[in-house]
Amino acid sequence: MNIYIKSCAQISVQEPLCDKWFTEPIKHEAPYVRALDPDYKPFINPVAARRMGLILKRAMATSITALKEAGIEMPDAIVTATGLGCIENTEKFLKALSEQGENCLQPTFFINSTHNTIGSYIAVQMKCHGYNNTHVHRGISFESALLDAFVKIKLEKLNNALVGAHDEMTPDYFTLLNRVGFWNGGFAGETAVSMVLAKEGDIRIAGVEILYMPEKQKLIDAVNGLCAENNIGVNDIDLLVTGRNNDDDNNKAYNEFEDLFNLRDKSESYKNIFGESFTASAYGIYYAYECLKKGINPKGKNVKNVLIYNHYENKDHSLILLTC
Amino acid sequence: MENLIKELKEEIIKTLNLEEVRPEDIDENAPLFGEGLGLDSIDALELIVLMEKNYGIKLQDPNQGKEIFKSIVTMAEYVQKNRTK
Repeated sequence: MNIYIKSCAQISVQEPLCDKWFTEPIKHEAPYVRALDPDYKPFINPVAARRMGLILKRAMATSITALKEAGIEMPDAIVTATGLGCIENTEKFLKALSEQGENCLQPTFFINSTHNTIGSYIAVQMKCHGYNNTHVHRGISFESALLDAFVKIKLEKLNNALVGAHDEMTPDYFTLLNRVGFWNGGFAGETAVSMVLAKEGDIRIAGVEILYMPEKQKLIDAVNGLCAENNIGVNDIDLLVTGRNNDDDNNKAYNEFEDLFNLRDKSESYKNIFGESFTASAYGIYYAYECLKKGINPKGKNVKNVLIYNHYENKDHSLILLTC
Repeated sequence: MENLIKELKEEIIKTLNLEEVRPEDIDENAPLFGEGLGLDSIDALELIVLMEKNYGIKLQDPNQGKEIFKSIVTMAEYVQKNRTK
């Protein structure tokens, strides 16, 4: 059973809901950049929109765009990844709690403050009663959601799935993460990526691996295993997409990986375009998807096999192989 | 009374995030729920919180709410009679 990415849509620090970033990326110098929002009126009716925070509006707009592009009206499942969930509403709710005690708390902020609000909202708006799950595992949230949908389709429990990665960044949370050095070497962005996985398409997900604190040999076995399953060798990888930024500590694992497989010349990063967030790795797969869709390899002539390698704090590592 | 009606309209727009509604668009005699502004049960909870937060009015009986929240005018009349702040 082959599984494909049928469509993909993004709202980010780049021009929203389009691929203009591919040729004309907006360069960001500030340490904290909020996503560029499109007009949400074509996607959400005003009555529903008034209770939705930006994260929900972005999730709706990218989901609707991806489903439309895939030609699927109702997905079999909605699988969502988020590191922080609806943090903006959570902050509003907690602030009110702190300022006014436990009296006079506004219900809307409370209702829309949980992590699974995002997936639930998409389902409610679309009237989708299928499988609905939210993965919250910090820097590995997106890969976990992708793997969930991938395995369910592989087991023929689903025909397709809407997989999303959604995170917003508030000024207060940016400051808190800054204090613990989370943004070293990168700028803070926000994530809104939705993709449709299906049994047919052009860009195939050839494998997904999540590894916890892998030793060198485990990484070698995982990469070789992914290649062997698809009857290719490591040399056949045309492009490596990594979560590299400007932080030497973060990049150490990527340097080792590139040297291990002799992929340094084929390596490209995406965080310099889309920024950092708990679910930023979704932009890695989106970047690879666009390269394969356009047939453009920024590091070579042809592009057929793209490996995406990410790690979070050098603990959770992920490998995704895309091929066309 | 006129000032209170204006204040309530502004507060409702702000609290319920009625982005495209201006105070002058709201007919103070029109029903708030169903027709008129078309508010729903979550909005009712928001209005109960608004009454307590801004005017110190605690609504205990849910049936009371139906009458009080009939329109902006009925709300304003109730606030004027029962406000503690």
